[in-house]
Amino acid sequence: MIAQRLRDTRGRVRPYLVLALGIALIAAVVLPVIALGSSRVPQPVAFNHLKHTQDLGLGCEFCHPYARTRAHSGLPDVTTCSMCHTSPQGTSAEAARVTELITAGDLLRFNKLFRMPDHVFYTHRRHVAIAELSCETCHGDIAHTERPPVRALVKVDMDFCLDCHRKQGATLDCNACHR
Amino acid sequence: MTRWGMVIDLDRCTGCAACEVACKSENNIATVPPHQAEMGRVMSWMRVLAHTVGDFPDTHLEFYPRPCMHCDNPPCIKVCPVRATYIDPEGIVGQIYPRCIGCRYCANACPFTVKYFNWYGPEWSDSERQHLNPDVSPRTKGVIEKCSFCHHRLQRAREQARAENRDVREEDYQPACAEICPTRAIVFGDLDNPTHHVAELKEDPRAMRIMEDLGTQPKVYYLRARR
Ligand code: HEC
Ligand code: HEC
Ligand code: HEC
Ligand code: HEC
Ligand code: HEC
Repeated sequence: MIAQRLRDTRGRVRPYLVLALGIALIAAVVLPVIALGSSRVPQPVAFNHLKHTQDLGLGCEFCHPYARTRAHSGLPDVTTCSMCHTSPQGTSAEAARVTELITAGDLLRFNKLFRMPDHVFYTHRRHVAIAELSCETCHGDIAHTERPPVRALVKVDMDFCLDCHRKQGATLDCNACHR
Repeated sequence: MTRWGMVIDLDRCTGCAACEVACKSENNIATVPPHQAEMGRVMSWMRVLAHTVGDFPDTHLEFYPRPCMHCDNPPCIKVCPVRATYIDPEGIVGQIYPRCIGCRYCANACPFTVKYFNWYGPEWSDSERQHLNPDVSPRTKGVIEKCSFCHHRLQRAREQARAENRDVREEDYQPACAEICPTRAIVFGDLDNPTHHVAELKEDPRAMRIMEDLGTQPKVYYLRARR
C-alpha cells in the first residue's frame, strides 16, 4: 500500500513523499519524548495554597506535619482534607469536586514535586528546626500559589545546596550529603 | 580529631558470617548470577575469609572478617582521576557513586581487594525490592562500590546529636556488622577518643594490622594471640 504510493505512475520513487513520511515518523517518536521530558507533576485536585495558608491562616505543619521533626515533611491525604471538606466549602467548582471525591472514598494521593535523587541525604529537621531556615529559601513562594505548580518553583541542585552551605559555613564534605 | 576505626578480635570470631549477611542487607548489595560469580564478580563489602593453618591432620581454621580497611594513607584515592573516592575529615574513605566513572584504577590499587565493580546494574526480585534500605542508594552499572563503615548511620547520628546539642557518642553510630556480631568480636568507634573501646583495644598486645608493612595505615585492627 504505502510502498505503492511512494512511487509515481511511472514507478519512480517520489522523493517528497518519502521525506514527508520520514519527518512524520521522527515527529511521532520525538514529540512524546519532549513532552515527557518536561515532566509535569499531575495532582488529583487543583489545591490552592493561597486560600488555605493566607485566607484561612493554616500553618504549613497542619498539612506537612513532619517538617520540623523528620527528614521528609510529608504530604497530606484525605484524612487532613476531610476535616473540612466533608461538607461544602466556599463556592468554587473545585471545592465542590473535593467534597465529591472525598464522599466517593477517593484517597487524594498527591504527588511529590521536589525530589532528591536516592544518592543524596537531605533532611528537613536539620534545615527547618536546627538551622531555622524558612520554607521559601528552598521552595519559593509556594504559599501564594493558587494552583499546584507543575514543576518545582526553585531548582534545587547541588550548586544550590553548596552555595548556601558555603555562605553559612555548613559542611562541604561529599560524604555528608551523599550516600 | 575523630578517626573512625574498627577492632576485630579473631580469638572471639567463630566465622558465623552474620556480619556478611547484615552488611549485604543493610547496604543493598546486589547478588550476582552464578556465571558472574564464577568470574569472581561476587560483591561482599564484608567478607569472612577462612584460612587453614597447620599440616593435616593437625589443622584448624582461622577466620578473618575483612571490611574496607579505611586506610589513613589510602592507595585507592591517589589513582582516582575524578576524586570520586577520597578520605573524609573523620577518616572514612568515601566512594561518591554519581561521580565514579568506573575506570577501576582504585580496585587495582587496593592491596586488600575490597573495592567491587558493578559489571551489570543490580537486578532485584519483587520481594528484594521491598526490603531495600532507603538510606543507602543502590549502585548502578559501571561504578565501584565498597564498605562505607555504614556512614549513612553516621549522617543520622550527627543530626540527632546536633538536635540534642552534644557530640556523637559511641553507641549512636555502629555499623551493621559490629551491631550484629553475636560474640562482640567486632568493635567500632573513634580510635582517637579514649572513652571509646577501640582506643584501648588497639593498644592491646595482641593487636596487629594486615599488610602493615605497605604503609597504608589501615584503621581496621585485628586481635590475635601469637601462636
Ligand atoms: C480548615 C479547613 C480546611 C481544610 C483542612 C482543607 N480545606 Fe480546602 N477549603 C477550605 C475552605 C473554607 C475553602 C473555601 C475557600 C474559599 O473559597 O474562599 C476551601 C477550598 C478548597 C478548594 C477550592 C480552591 C479554589 O481555588 O477555589 C480546594 C481545591 C481545596 N479546598 C482542597 C483542599 C484539599 C486537597 C485539602 C487537604 C489537603 C483541603 N482543602 C483542606 C477549608 C479547608
Ligand atoms: C491545607 C493543607 C496545606 C497547607 C496548610 C499547606 N500545604 Fe503545602 N501542600 C498541600 C498539598 C495538598 C500539596 C500537594 C499539591 C500541590 O503541590 O499543590 C502541597 C504541596 C506543597 C509543596 C510541594 C511539595 C512537593 O515537593 O511535592 C511545598 C513545598 C509546600 N506544599 C509548602 C507549603 C508551605 C511552605 C506551607 C505553609 C506556608 C504549606 N505548604 C501549607 C497542602 C497544604
Ligand atoms: C534547605 C532547603 C529546604 C527548606 C528550608 C525546606 N525544604 Fe522542603 N524540601 C526540600 C528538598 C530538597 C525536598 C525534596 C526532598 C527529597 O526528595 O528527599 C523537599 C521536599 C518537601 C516536601 C515534599 C514532601 C516530602 O516530604 O518530601 C514538602 C511538603 C516540603 N518540602 C515542605 C517544606 C516546608 C513546609 C518547609 C518549611 C517548614 C520546607 N519544606 C523547608 C528542601 C527544603
Ligand atoms: C539556605 C541555606 C541552606 C541550603 C539551601 C541547604 N542547606 Fe544544608 N545546611 C544548612 C545549614 C545552616 C546547616 C547546618 C545546620 C546546623 O547548624 O547544624 C546545614 C546542614 C546540612 C547537613 C548536615 C551536615 C553535617 O554536618 O552533618 C546536610 C547533610 C545538609 N545540610 C544537606 C543539604 C542538602 C542536600 C541541600 C540541598 C538540597 C542543602 N543542605 C541545602 C543550610 C542550607
Ligand atoms: C550540601 C550537600 C552536598 C555536598 C556537600 C556534595 N553534594 Fe553532590 N549532590 C548534592 C545534591 C543535592 C545532588 C543532586 C543534584 C540534582 O539532582 O540535580 C548532588 C549530585 C551530585 C552528582 C551528580 C551530578 C549532578 O551534578 O547532578 C555528583 C557527581 C556529585 N554530587 C558529586 C559530589 C562530590 C564529588 C562532592 C564532594 C566534593 C559532593 N557531591 C558534595 C549535594 C551535595
